[in-house]
Amino acid sequence: MQVIPIRAAKEGMELAKGAVTEDGKVLCGEGTTLTMAVISRLEKSGVGAITVKGHPVRLPGEKGLKERIKDLEERFLKVKDDPVERALMRLIAEYWVESYSA
Amino acid sequence: MDKIQEIKDRLKNLKSLPTLPPIVSRLNEMVEDEDVTAVSLGKVIEKDQVLTSKLLRMVNSSFFGFPQRISTVSNAIVLLGFNVIKTLIVTSSIFDVMQSSDIGLWEHSLGCAAFSGIMAARRNIKNPEEVSTASLIHDIGKVVIRSEFPEYYAKIVEDVERRGVFMREAEEEVLGVQHGEIGGWLADEWNLPERLSIPIRFHHYPEKAGEFVEIASIIHISDIVIRAWGYGFGGDKWVPPLSHAAWEQIKFGKAEGREIMEELDLRLSELKNFTMEF
Repeated sequence: MQVIPIRAAKEGMELAKGAVTEDGKVLCGEGTTLTMAVISRLEKSGVGAITVKGHPVRLPGEKGLKERIKDLEERFLKVKDDPVERALMRLIAEYWVESYSA
Repeated sequence: MDKIQEIKDRLKNLKSLPTLPPIVSRLNEMVEDEDVTAVSLGKVIEKDQVLTSKLLRMVNSSFFGFPQRISTVSNAIVLLGFNVIKTLIVTSSIFDVMQSSDIGLWEHSLGCAAFSGIMAARRNIKNPEEVSTASLIHDIGKVVIRSEFPEYYAKIVEDVERRGVFMREAEEEVLGVQHGEIGGWLADEWNLPERLSIPIRFHHYPEKAGEFVEIASIIHISDIVIRAWGYGFGGDKWVPPLSHAAWEQIKFGKAEGREIMEELDLRLSELKNFTMEF
């Protein structure tokens, strides 16, 4: 699954999670296939981002999972001895791995 | 002249940043008056159309997370509080400078504001939008160093690249003071409330933030998480050391952490509508 900005949404994509407004109102359920009408309704209701199935969009500057994890580990080099920082790194890495595989 | 005094003196008379909109002193006077209403404050601000459109764009960006569009300034004052609106007005020139000269720092700041908003809401902090706003401007010290002291800034950047040190270490060596302190001075100079200026000053040393330790801790952790995520660029590529006192204030376990990551991913994606062209 992939979280994408609503402006990157295209017809035919399928929602991996319900599209929800900030105040928790569900506008479209999981499994909805996007049409122009649905996208426009989501935009108008103030939905800024949605979670879609697969990984259909390569956002400008976006890297692949392996490279993202490698960069993540490198950024933690100076603090890798701190157990809480290591736990934060694992939390982010696991979330990314899960997103790419779901 | 001593370097620190030179920096303080130049902060009082910033040349490279546009001056404070004259409207700010007028608004400060109005707020002193107990009878003033959001509508009358809004009316004064709305006389300045450029400022109004900038302000509405900011308050409608996703880090505040309001589901409905905010279409008038008085509505924004009611929803976000005057401290937030005043801070956005006072710092609007900083945003212009950041957006045009340092988009990486701008994205870092937006990301921190988003994460801080999530944590402030989860920890039931009063006026979570103030926490987002403080987080949005926590690195104003860096903007000032870059624009007002370009010769020192060049040396700092060179040190960061050549020796791989944290930016604030290089600042300390070159200037004798770090961006947090400079940001704090500037916030005081602009009469921003202490709820914002103290966390800005101590975002790398949140345990020193006294009664605002919780807000400073949230900003501190947001800086770590957003750098870890790789969203934007905060001046060097390293995740900074964690203050364990700050972590004790707002810590989360694995299950909550997973929810926070999901929420953050959505917020950061929403922000791309704001910073990225498709």
